[in-house]
Amino acid sequence: MTIWTPNDNGYADLTSHDTFVAGAPHNTFKRLRDEDPIHWTDWANGKGFWSITRHADIMEMNRNTAVFSSEHGIRMEDQSPEEVIARRTFQEIDPPEHMKTRIKLAKAFSKGVIEGFNSDIRELCVNILDDVLPEGEFDATKRIARVLPMLMLGRIIGTPEEDLPWLVQKGDELIANTDPDFTDHVLDKITTDEFRMMPFNSPAGAELFAYAKEMLERKKREGDTSGVLHMILQPGPDGEVISETEFRNFFCLLVAAGNDTTRYSIAAGIQALCHQPELLAQMQAGGDIWETAPDEIIRWATPALYFRRTALSDYEIHGKTIKAGDKVLYWFMSANRDETVFDDPFRVNLFRTPNKHLSFGQGGPHLCLGMWLARLEVRVLFQELSKRIRHIEAAGPQQFLRSNFVGGLKSLPVRVTLN
Amino acid sequence: MKITWTLQDGRTHTAEVANGTNMMEAAVANDITGVVGECGGSLSCATCHVYVADDWVGKTGEPEDFEDAMLDATEAERKDNSRLSCQIVADDSLDGLHLIVPAL
Repeated sequence: MTIWTPNDNGYADLTSHDTFVAGAPHNTFKRLRDEDPIHWTDWANGKGFWSITRHADIMEMNRNTAVFSSEHGIRMEDQSPEEVIARRTFQEIDPPEHMKTRIKLAKAFSKGVIEGFNSDIRELCVNILDDVLPEGEFDATKRIARVLPMLMLGRIIGTPEEDLPWLVQKGDELIANTDPDFTDHVLDKITTDEFRMMPFNSPAGAELFAYAKEMLERKKREGDTSGVLHMILQPGPDGEVISETEFRNFFCLLVAAGNDTTRYSIAAGIQALCHQPELLAQMQAGGDIWETAPDEIIRWATPALYFRRTALSDYEIHGKTIKAGDKVLYWFMSANRDETVFDDPFRVNLFRTPNKHLSFGQGGPHLCLGMWLARLEVRVLFQELSKRIRHIEAAGPQQFLRSNFVGGLKSLPVRVTLN
Repeated sequence: MKITWTLQDGRTHTAEVANGTNMMEAAVANDITGVVGECGGSLSCATCHVYVADDWVGKTGEPEDFEDAMLDATEAERKDNSRLSCQIVADDSLDGLHLIVPAL
């Protein structure tokens, strides 16, 4: 059985968020990988860009930060230098500067330290599942996938549990800023410049700024030195401390990135369980599958559809010249369906190994800081879910997010039979 | 140059590596289990951690500042001879280099 069949005509408009309401345009990505792997798109709302769709090409370019820089923006939209500086985090800073921030956080997000959250995550999963599964029919994104990362975010940044629904709502307004279900301030339909200096060009950025400032002052007053927010405030090796603006942007990044990507990975895994019935039995058999299943679910999901770079000098590839100043999009979603790397890429194979997917931006310095947390949350959630159910199926039409940047199922109605 | 890895199961694997290649790339090309290199050699992940065999420690040099910091984020225990193998680049002076993949 097929999990989901793309229905674009092979020539989808990658600049349009509406294209992605029907799911990622995989027929278009396949045609580009086959016929035009370094593809130029003109864009009515800004400068045009190159789309890179093959796995090998993204791997070649992603590590080459001397040519392909993150410092001029990481999404399709053009930004003035002032906007970039006002909104930037270490995501928009190239090495070696990038490393000064990353080393403050690397240990807290390392595999070993993250594994220490195993029992916390399991307890949260048990509570979430025992609460919703007896209902029999529910929206798996809203009731399961959205809840776990939100509760874990609270533990990571040390916010009170009662603040979490508000924080996640604001995170959604930021990163899902192109979907009217999540924000009244839809990015491609706005007419004001008022929020251009805010994270994600969103008024939610201003509210999160205020929250972060208040929280930081409270922690200072109380002498609380716990959590990753404290770590990023420590001086780097050269004694430099990050600015208040950069701190607040980092806070917004945690709230946004720490949430919806794991949410859409979990949702995509549940979607796969509904349509490839053998997967549930494989999970229930247990064993080594848990070493490989999380990465395969995250490959299938690919919540970060692309990240953008900007060429600093001319670059020749496959007979095309990317000129200095050109925007370049690494389409991770396309690379993760590249049949030269993945056998039968549209099937979920929980035993797939090696699994050289690029969902975390593998192959470059901006590799996802939270990847071990994402893998652990996915692993534990599916361990606990598969223990409890005998059968799971779709119970209505799934709905994808309106965004060409973050891909995922914002609604996934399912029906379960308990053990 | 030649390089030998002691693998996680105790066996060894020897391969010819071109000068200029780093030891993470060499390990990935040789399917050495336990050396992953997810960040492509950018010092962002610590998944290419190896131990340098005692008689080679002097020749491979000391980790620089960022590598030193990232070595605190390895999965296996950090030891005095720990390195991120993406930061060791093949040249003739390292012919015969011996690296040990941490067993978990």
